[in-house]
Amino acid sequence: MPWPQQRRLLGTKVQRLDGADKSTGRAKYSYDINRPRQCHARILRCPHAHARIKSIDTTVAERTPGFKSIHMVAKPGDELYFAGAELLGIAADTEEHAEDALRAIRVEYEPLPHHVKEAEALRSKGSTVGGGAEAANVTPAGDYSTDNFEQNAYRDAAAVHEAEYGVAIISHQCLETHGLVAQWDEKQENLTVWASTQAVPNTAQQLAQYFKIPATRVKCITHYMGGGFGSKFGPDIQGQIAAELAKKAAQPVKLMLDRAEEVTVGGMRPSAYGKVKIAANKEGLIQAFEVDCYGSPGVGRGATVNFNLLPYVYVNVPHIKRKHQAVRLNLQTARAMRAPGHPQNCLLTEQAIDDLAAKLNVNPIQMRLRNLPPNDQDAIKNAPTTYLALRHTIYTQQIDLVRKMSDWDRKWHPPGQGNGPIKTGLGIALHTWGGSGRGPNPTKITIGADGSVLCQSSTQDLGTAQRTVAAIIVAEILGLDPKDIMVEVGESQHGPSTPSGGSTTCPGTSPAILKAAENARDAFFAAIAPRMNVEVADLEIAPGHVVNKKANQRIPWRQACARLGMNPVQATGDWPTNAQLQQNKELRDLWTTRLSNQGVGGVQIAEVRVDTETGVVRCTNVWAVQDVGLVVNKLGCESQAAGGVVMGVNYALYEECIYDKNSGRLVNPDMEFYKLAGIRDMPQIHVHMMDMPERGVIGIGEPPTISTAAAVGNAIFNAIGVRVPFAPFTPERVLAALARPQGGAR
Amino acid sequence: MKNFSYYRPATVEQAVSLLENRFGNTELLGGGTDLHDLQKEYVSQPARVVSLGGIAQLQTVQVAEKSVTIGAGRTLASISEHPQLRQLFPALATAAGEIAGPQLRNMATLGGNLCQRNRCWYFRDEHSNCLLKSGSTCFALDGENKYHSVFTQGSRCVAVTPSTIGPVLIALGASVEVQNAAGKRLVEIGRFFKAPNANGEREHALASNDVVVAVQIPVQGLTNAHYEVRQKLSSDWPIVQAAVSFQGGRNGEKATDVKIVLGQVAPVPHVAQAAMRAIENQSITEQTAAAAGQAATQGAKPLSQNAYKLKLIEVAVKRALLLASGARPYWLA
Ligand SMILES: Cc1cc2nc3c(=O)[nH]c(=O)nc-3n(C[C@H](O)[C@H](O)[C@H](O)COP(=O)(O)OP(=O)(O)OC[C@H]3O[C@@H](n4cnc5c(N)ncnc54)[C@H](O)[C@@H]3O)c2cc1C
Repeated sequence: MPWPQQRRLLGTKVQRLDGADKSTGRAKYSYDINRPRQCHARILRCPHAHARIKSIDTTVAERTPGFKSIHMVAKPGDELYFAGAELLGIAADTEEHAEDALRAIRVEYEPLPHHVKEAEALRSKGSTVGGGAEAANVTPAGDYSTDNFEQNAYRDAAAVHEAEYGVAIISHQCLETHGLVAQWDEKQENLTVWASTQAVPNTAQQLAQYFKIPATRVKCITHYMGGGFGSKFGPDIQGQIAAELAKKAAQPVKLMLDRAEEVTVGGMRPSAYGKVKIAANKEGLIQAFEVDCYGSPGVGRGATVNFNLLPYVYVNVPHIKRKHQAVRLNLQTARAMRAPGHPQNCLLTEQAIDDLAAKLNVNPIQMRLRNLPPNDQDAIKNAPTTYLALRHTIYTQQIDLVRKMSDWDRKWHPPGQGNGPIKTGLGIALHTWGGSGRGPNPTKITIGADGSVLCQSSTQDLGTAQRTVAAIIVAEILGLDPKDIMVEVGESQHGPSTPSGGSTTCPGTSPAILKAAENARDAFFAAIAPRMNVEVADLEIAPGHVVNKKANQRIPWRQACARLGMNPVQATGDWPTNAQLQQNKELRDLWTTRLSNQGVGGVQIAEVRVDTETGVVRCTNVWAVQDVGLVVNKLGCESQAAGGVVMGVNYALYEECIYDKNSGRLVNPDMEFYKLAGIRDMPQIHVHMMDMPERGVIGIGEPPTISTAAAVGNAIFNAIGVRVPFAPFTPERVLAALARPQGGAR
Repeated sequence: MKNFSYYRPATVEQAVSLLENRFGNTELLGGGTDLHDLQKEYVSQPARVVSLGGIAQLQTVQVAEKSVTIGAGRTLASISEHPQLRQLFPALATAAGEIAGPQLRNMATLGGNLCQRNRCWYFRDEHSNCLLKSGSTCFALDGENKYHSVFTQGSRCVAVTPSTIGPVLIALGASVEVQNAAGKRLVEIGRFFKAPNANGEREHALASNDVVVAVQIPVQGLTNAHYEVRQKLSSDWPIVQAAVSFQGGRNGEKATDVKIVLGQVAPVPHVAQAAMRAIENQSITEQTAAAAGQAATQGAKPLSQNAYKLKLIEVAVKRALLLASGARPYWLA
């Protein structure tokens, strides 16, 4: 069952099947769900960045108009570690009544010391984030050095560059906030939730575990989803609260976070700051990369940024030394965010490389071509279709393409050159990502006697046009049009499916859908062959037809289906189990290196226009070349890349969670001073997808957002000739860098 | 948000009769783009809201020989698109047209724009009890203040005056028509804005039972322009704004009666006297405009994070003057 050699639909541009539903509002997101008798819930949150609860008095609140139920999650004596931490939830008949009820609750707090700024926490001793006497906010998170670094690193250096780079904490800012609608049946035994989630079956499972009821008693529905970016893998505490309140009220409860809550607790991407020292020999080969860095995972203990990736992409640098520290702060815990760790590592690497190239007087493209990691010899032998085996080849081709697309050779100038106060510049950056999928992703296909085709699975569509992906594959195999396929996703009762994280959905589902479509076709042939007095082998699919090769007869699809009589055909398809994949090399090769694969490279060039009098930067163009293995839907892929670029431009220029050091509260939990580009702030985005069908499907949900910010940073450097060290590259930071070429202000 | 009773009177008199003699319990409603936000954030919790949306009189624009009168209920969008306003007062039309985004401009009214509350993120945070509420501290002073005042003018609250229409109207010498139970009066726009420094005070000098009915702008053949430094073009606030007006000043002619008014730099629109003196009776060139820009920062005392605004003031004043003079905007090159 490899992918068809002849591709009729795969790799073409197919408009998303639910585009009209989404743009007209027919598509119902969790936020749009309203159940009969539904009440509304709100959460009481701690306004202090660190405090102990002395007392909670809910008596007045429980007598406010419309009050339905209350659920406590914290109690007197508890210590809360960030502003926004949950105390309790309240359900009332209207949202307004729920809000009013919250404000009728009296809580006494004992405020405790906090840190919300990395720089302050770095200077501090002790802990403001709990963990006992010996704990500290700042913890070593690993050191690494190649052998004899001190002796060897700078021996052959023709140029050394040392500077600090960094990027602030940002929020996921999902357009649809986190939350769900919870409804118990009359016996209070079975729970249905309409959740905004990236993991439909997992959300159901986690709720079942929470309530200690069989998984079969919880159903999760997510027909449409308004963005998660790594922050929505379960019901979360607000989902548990909603379900608890629904149970207590014996009424459905809707609990969607408001915008301020979304920014305060809905997920954040860790900051990253690092002193980088980088050196190259006279051939421009990078010899040493040394970094002393830190980042904040918020209050959580989890990893911050995976600094082990440094130097990013250019892994063949011979001498590497890393030191990093996790700086825990009194703010929400970091969550995975679109290519976790990669954008930060890309900024810390790619910007330093450009600064070094400038010292060496080398064009940034040359600098990169010289330092690309080689194709890995082992991989060429053992896994010739993987990124490791192909990376040098892929990046070389991509750089060549993006260089032409952007007209780099004509437009590029040495850093800071150009007359007048308005400067333009170009910058380049590279990225990589895994993007491999796995099962289980069982997919069921039903072919009806009326010619209808239904494709069902529990996977979720995060906005990636997953329905269209499924329809293309099924239509390709059955000779139909994607519009002919009815695709149902986002309901947990359709069985297991893998969470949509790590760019795994397309590569995880596509091979299973292919398998299901082939099985359905075979079952269909098996059902109709006897009725047509032919062998199964005599039948084949042609566009819109079933061909009876024996009689040289082309039967229109619907007529062929009519032979099914009363019984529709059903078939399922799924991945082999992990054990089977492990044991059977042939199977493993088929599923993980031909049907799907892992590892992609991408290159982006950004163009900016910097007003050196005001410090305002506009990103005018971004050219993005992305490899994705086998392209299923070219239009979907391009949209995904464009979306990644949009996010990357925001990361570079606008987004920042700004915390007040005194109160520890976020001052911009909004979309006003938490700045996000609008349509007029967007660059023109030019995407090129490399189609390498022999590699199979690889996910690219995340990679196209990785290198944008670094490319923008480099373009600004190219425009003005000085480095703006810390993103977002706001007017005040650009002006500071221009005023003080040796550094800049955070 | 707290439940409230909603009134929709048909005349200004009726509206006035519904108001109280202190702010807070009853609030006027224009487009609601500010008031409803404040309600949802529990910063404002009126029990009664009096909409001006049903009063036809507030919707008119009258262009007479000596003056133009714009009803307080006109939306920012309709002001920015009005052909005669665009011709006579390009500063006003462009300022109105650059505010936030189309959704907001289609709702927001002139009256609401002039009377809107400040955007300080401490003031707008329900949990921070700043001196405009019942507290006694301005949290911006020792906090996050990159968007706050650089001319504090003795005010204890260092939020900036929000309206970008205000500085333009000052430059144009406008007056505000105000009505209360005693009748109508004209308030010179230069006296309209006031720095609030305590609970119950507003960003303007009107009383709680006053209604802004219209704005009158004299037609004096003033050359005028406005320039804003904006980080984003979509839905954003300017960081610094300069509005200028003068007689003459085009094609190398000397500029006289110059007015230069800055927005987003002080608790009220800041009349840049030194800059006005610097350019008075000069022809406008890049040099003279830049010199005026430098003079415009005189007396500034930036806070811990907003010294960069001084540079932006210089640039905004220079560019506004050049725009008004008819020079080619070099920054759009
Ligand atoms: C992202 C963003 C960017 C923005 N950028 C800008 C900008 O660049 N420049 C700018 O000027 N503004 C800007 N704004 C603010 C916007 O212009 C105001 O919200 C709007 O003008 C308020 O008008 P409204 O009619 O909706 O006021 P409302 O919300 O209805 O009222 C505001 C206040 O004025 C009072 N009021 C209303 N009408 C009258 C009247 N006739 N007489 C007396 N009192 C009255 C109300 O009681 C209330 O206190 C921005 C807002 C946002 C969200």
